Amino acid sequence: MTIQNDPFFIDFQARIRMIQSEMAKANIDVYLGSRLRTLSWTLDAFCPWRSFVVIPPEGLPTAFTFVIDAARVADDSWLDESNVFGFAPMGGQDQIELISDFIKDLLAGGRGRIGIESGMSNYLPEGNLTHYEFERFSAALPGCELVNAHTIVDKLSMIKDAGTINRFREASRIVDIGHQAVFDALKDGGYRGMTETGIAGLAAFAMRRAGSEWEWSFTGGNEIASGYRTGLTGGACTPASRREIMAGEPLMVDIHAMFKLGLGDHSHNYLIAPVTDRQWWHAGNFLDIVRLTLKSYRAGITPSELAEKMMGFADERGFSDYMVPGFEHGIGLMGDEWRIGLNDGPFPYWTNPDHVYQAGELLICAMQYACPEEGIGFRYENPVVIHPDRCEPLSVFPLTVDEIK
Amino acid sequence: MTKIIQYLTPDWRDEAERRLKSELSPERMNFITSSMSNIYLDCPNGKDKYLFFRFEKGLFADLILGEGEPPDAEFRITGKYETFARISRAELGSQKALMTGKLKLKGNMIKALKLASIADRLNKVLSTIPAAY
Repeated sequence: MTIQNDPFFIDFQARIRMIQSEMAKANIDVYLGSRLRTLSWTLDAFCPWRSFVVIPPEGLPTAFTFVIDAARVADDSWLDESNVFGFAPMGGQDQIELISDFIKDLLAGGRGRIGIESGMSNYLPEGNLTHYEFERFSAALPGCELVNAHTIVDKLSMIKDAGTINRFREASRIVDIGHQAVFDALKDGGYRGMTETGIAGLAAFAMRRAGSEWEWSFTGGNEIASGYRTGLTGGACTPASRREIMAGEPLMVDIHAMFKLGLGDHSHNYLIAPVTDRQWWHAGNFLDIVRLTLKSYRAGITPSELAEKMMGFADERGFSDYMVPGFEHGIGLMGDEWRIGLNDGPFPYWTNPDHVYQAGELLICAMQYACPEEGIGFRYENPVVIHPDRCEPLSVFPLTVDEIK
Repeated sequence: MTKIIQYLTPDWRDEAERRLKSELSPERMNFITSSMSNIYLDCPNGKDKYLFFRFEKGLFADLILGEGEPPDAEFRITGKYETFARISRAELGSQKALMTGKLKLKGNMIKALKLASIADRLNKVLSTIPAAY
């Protein structure tokens, strides 16, 4: 249970009341959340198994998860055991029957409008209601209309409160400890004999010791790329391989920490000596565009404006061929790692390029520089808080490309 | 000669209460406070019956046999008379009956898991009553 004088306190009861207020406006009697982001945002617990939250028109929500994890979810959540149910393959206890019986008890005459979460995502663990679940809930709730209602949570979760930002700040502080541990291990020839997976592990060890709950990214935890793997075309996803770190090659270290569902995500880049002038040219380009991007983020701009400005800069400097023309991805409490803003762009469930950033939004400033023909690339990621006139990068590990001798 | 009692009759209920009280101490019942209704569908008389158990700190507070809607209980287990009878005759395990959907449990599984071994103890005592079905 979180207390109100805790810097990481989030008023989950107030969040539920806000959802209930929006449900009333949308004439929704019960909200059936299934997305990981909704579960984190409402329950304050990580739900790795298929889980649901049922939000009644008033009063407390109830969580449903796989029975083997239900007591742990109740222990982590702000809810107590009477509001967390485990489902299991038993009569009356499978997820469809358990939840639909529970919902029927909330509805007068067992009839009403149920808000569900449907859609699509590039993020595999998104957790939208599946077609099969939709059919089964529809059959189990005759007289109920199931309507897509995820926008309620998407809207309410867009601007981050102080507790959420502080959790991200702490996760970023832990990530910086991980980066320092990697740097200390690599320097003075320490890189010799190391592999990408070894670096991922030593970063994880340092971050766990500092309080990280896990290397949360579904992209393989800590992403490490060395040599040609840093420069794969558009390659912004590099689960660590068993590749050995070699002299004369680039090394990209993209590590992830989690603190109370707040997510740290920062990439730092290295060149292993001897470094050529051409490699330094690439590194300089990358650092310059990161600095300019960080200087440009503020409330009022849009992803497309920013991309246009940055790609213009890259073009002037002659490295636009190496830039992936995207400079951000969405972020929120665990499970919210996809598009920026609402589902209101020209391509459903992708970031709206004309989304206007507002103060209090949090996003990952994300840039990928990749030159496949020369086997070199760099990545920048950092959670940034949008302020009226600037952005605040939460990871403060020095922005450099370090030469390791 | 052992007296055979008709299953789910007032005599059977009285014998069940006597055995449960004498064989399951509050300590054996883990001093639980809870309640449970077994709902027997399609009984031989064509009606539905219930058996309501209530425990206070491990002591049997109520054991009520009736017809129609049972009192509110923390757990409600519904199944056919024959299913319960097979469990009482030790021909079918209660876990298997639940896992194959022959019995339906309503209630919080987290709490039910804590009480599973107690329910087994209780069923074991009930199965010792010489009964005709």
